Amino acid sequence: MLTSYTAGMLAGFLIVMVGKNSAHMLFLGRPLRFWRAAWRPDRSWIARGIWAMGIFAISGLACLAPRLMGPAWQLPAGVEMLAEWLAGLSALFIMFYDGLLMSASPAIPFWRTPMLPLLVLMYATLGGTTLSLTLRGIMGVSDQFVPVLLQGERLLLLINLLFLGVYLLRMSRWAPASRETVRLLLSGTYAWAFVGIVVTVGLIATLLLSLAAEGTAGAWLLIVIAACELTGDYTLLLLLLKSALFTPQSAYPVEAVR
Amino acid sequence: MPRLGMVIDLKRCIGCNACVLACKQENGTPPGIHFARVITREVGTYPQSKRTFLPVLCNHCDDAPCVKACPTGASYTRPDGIVLVDNDLCIGCRACAVACPYMNRHYVAPGLLQAGYDGKPLSPYEALKYLDFQEGTTSKCTLCAHRIDRGLEPACVVTCPTDARIFGDLEDQNSRPRKLIEERKGWTLLPESNTKPSVYYLDA
Repeated sequence: MLTSYTAGMLAGFLIVMVGKNSAHMLFLGRPLRFWRAAWRPDRSWIARGIWAMGIFAISGLACLAPRLMGPAWQLPAGVEMLAEWLAGLSALFIMFYDGLLMSASPAIPFWRTPMLPLLVLMYATLGGTTLSLTLRGIMGVSDQFVPVLLQGERLLLLINLLFLGVYLLRMSRWAPASRETVRLLLSGTYAWAFVGIVVTVGLIATLLLSLAAEGTAGAWLLIVIAACELTGDYTLLLLLLKSALFTPQSAYPVEAVR
Repeated sequence: MPRLGMVIDLKRCIGCNACVLACKQENGTPPGIHFARVITREVGTYPQSKRTFLPVLCNHCDDAPCVKACPTGASYTRPDGIVLVDNDLCIGCRACAVACPYMNRHYVAPGLLQAGYDGKPLSPYEALKYLDFQEGTTSKCTLCAHRIDRGLEPACVVTCPTDARIFGDLEDQNSRPRKLIEERKGWTLLPESNTKPSVYYLDA
């Protein structure tokens, strides 16, 4: 929306409305009761997320309708501006509310940090930038935003790599359970996925390919770059969910039972 | 305002698992779901080694993270401090299971209530008890609220052969659990989680 790119807006809208919502519905044990999840926005991040999704659905449609279906769907200027603001703000919230939801859990030390929502937000920004660039490349759009997005993507790749390192360093000095999670990611069960896919494919290879593509990027190369980045993105989210450990209850003081 | 809770005396616990069986029998939980468990651990090195037992159940926390995480209000705290789940409101998002530091939330997976143990058809007992559960929702220890409402103590407390579990009102200065907590410096699991559990432990 910031770059007034309709295809990008439509892709983002579909990813959230179809992809993310379908995944949520598939996960629920009682999907037909999903509407109840909006009941407690005062205390639950899931409920706040549902509200954000609802606002995004309505305001996003209001923004997209005139672009896709013609000026007959144009809203009055004031309403249109309101819809754009609401769509932008709700989209921003949807980008990182997963991180807020996870970091609110006191049970899992690896998530219990304000750094997690920031990490999720940065990865979402990177994913959006990559997708926007790829769509432009595939559809042959060459506007003034392409060089900015290209530079932004490279910068985000570097920042994400650095931030991921800082996150792991912090967690390795946090609590025993988070320390063990870091070990699992770097040298344990999930090392092949984390080091191999998230870091090597998702960040380093994407950065190198993006540098190699300077000025000569064909559509196929852009698709490879997007595939690499998005694979790393989703693998990181999956690993955050799978590798994070609870603090064992049996960690009660040994002195207590001697 | 009462705050019902429990004290578990680790000096008395012999790890017989009678509480686990009593809970299973009272609540008729489906296969793989145990509201009461006993964590066994070996401490020390041979020949100075021993096995220790830590009975665990829902801590019915005063500041329950599972209640805060529930987006539908299905998880709630009764005025007497017991944390319960309203199955009809639960959507099976499992936010409570992720929020509980004690891993005392149990997901009743789809299909779990269709067969009994070892895949055999449901016994009349199982068929009756499973009416208290709903597939696709989470369930948890109720501190035997149905018994408490009839003036009885939880099944695990009544069954314990060594009287290691002491049930009562933690807010009552004269209650037995309250006195034991003060006299023997009762402690709770994972205090760093700041959940204010209503289950206390006494050193062995």
